[in-house]
Amino acid sequence: MFRIHCPHCQEVRSEEEFSYAGEAHIPRPADPSSLSDAEWGEYLHTRTNPRGPHREMWVHTAGCRRYFNVLRDTVSYEILAVYRVGEMPPERGEA
Amino acid sequence: MSEPPGVVCRECPDRVFANVRGDSGDLRLRRAVAQVAGLDLPREPGTWNRADRSRAYWLGPDEWLLVVEGDDGLALEERLRDALDGPFSVADVTGAQVQLELSGPDAGKVLQKSSPYDFHPRKFPPGRCAQTVFSKTTALVAAREDGAFDVVFRRSYADYLMRWLADAAAEYGYRLE
Ligand SMILES: [Zn+2]
Repeated sequence: MFRIHCPHCQEVRSEEEFSYAGEAHIPRPADPSSLSDAEWGEYLHTRTNPRGPHREMWVHTAGCRRYFNVLRDTVSYEILAVYRVGEMPPERGEA
Repeated sequence: MSEPPGVVCRECPDRVFANVRGDSGDLRLRRAVAQVAGLDLPREPGTWNRADRSRAYWLGPDEWLLVVEGDDGLALEERLRDALDGPFSVADVTGAQVQLELSGPDAGKVLQKSSPYDFHPRKFPPGRCAQTVFSKTTALVAAREDGAFDVVFRRSYADYLMRWLADAAAEYGYRLE
């Protein structure tokens, strides 16, 4: 069970209020129709799936309903940092 | 044998609800709401303000729930639209919402049974509000000065949640008004 700090509510809330929303920082291609099927498939489906720190999106579904980013260690499950959409992820995780 | 109930639940059928969205720093928005509802939109996350017959609850950094007693939802929306000049959104959501007051010495215990959120007065003093998981659905809960709580939830869950509250509060003594 995670305890997640929502950067909008500015409170630590229980995991059941949140939903996971996939890997963060994947830009949508500017001109999708110019891509090959392989390139479009890459954008849609290929993820880094790292062992260790992972930058991911969460949404505060039962709370403010806003999206934000989380830097989470996929081995220890430790949440290293939380930051807003539009902000750059911290280099090393420091919550 | 007739001890006072630990939890009293009162329906508030005379409330109308408007969802208001916009830049919280924009004076045009704040002035329009102040003019129509007589209160300031709270900018601090998880807080609410009240005036005589109106309340404004923080829902998100650019979103509020405005609740007015004894009004007409569509008329409220229209008055807000008339007063607003800028990139703002107002929607009458009266048909979607129900408001209750939970009072009594054990009201907080019933909330605590219903949600993972910490409703202890140390953490959730008067003036605070939170949208959170509530039983198998969600609710907006606000702490009042008189120690009671305002609870707002979706109308379509009303039957379910009223049964849930009656069951959760039964051990403390429950009265529905
Ligand atoms: Zn939130």
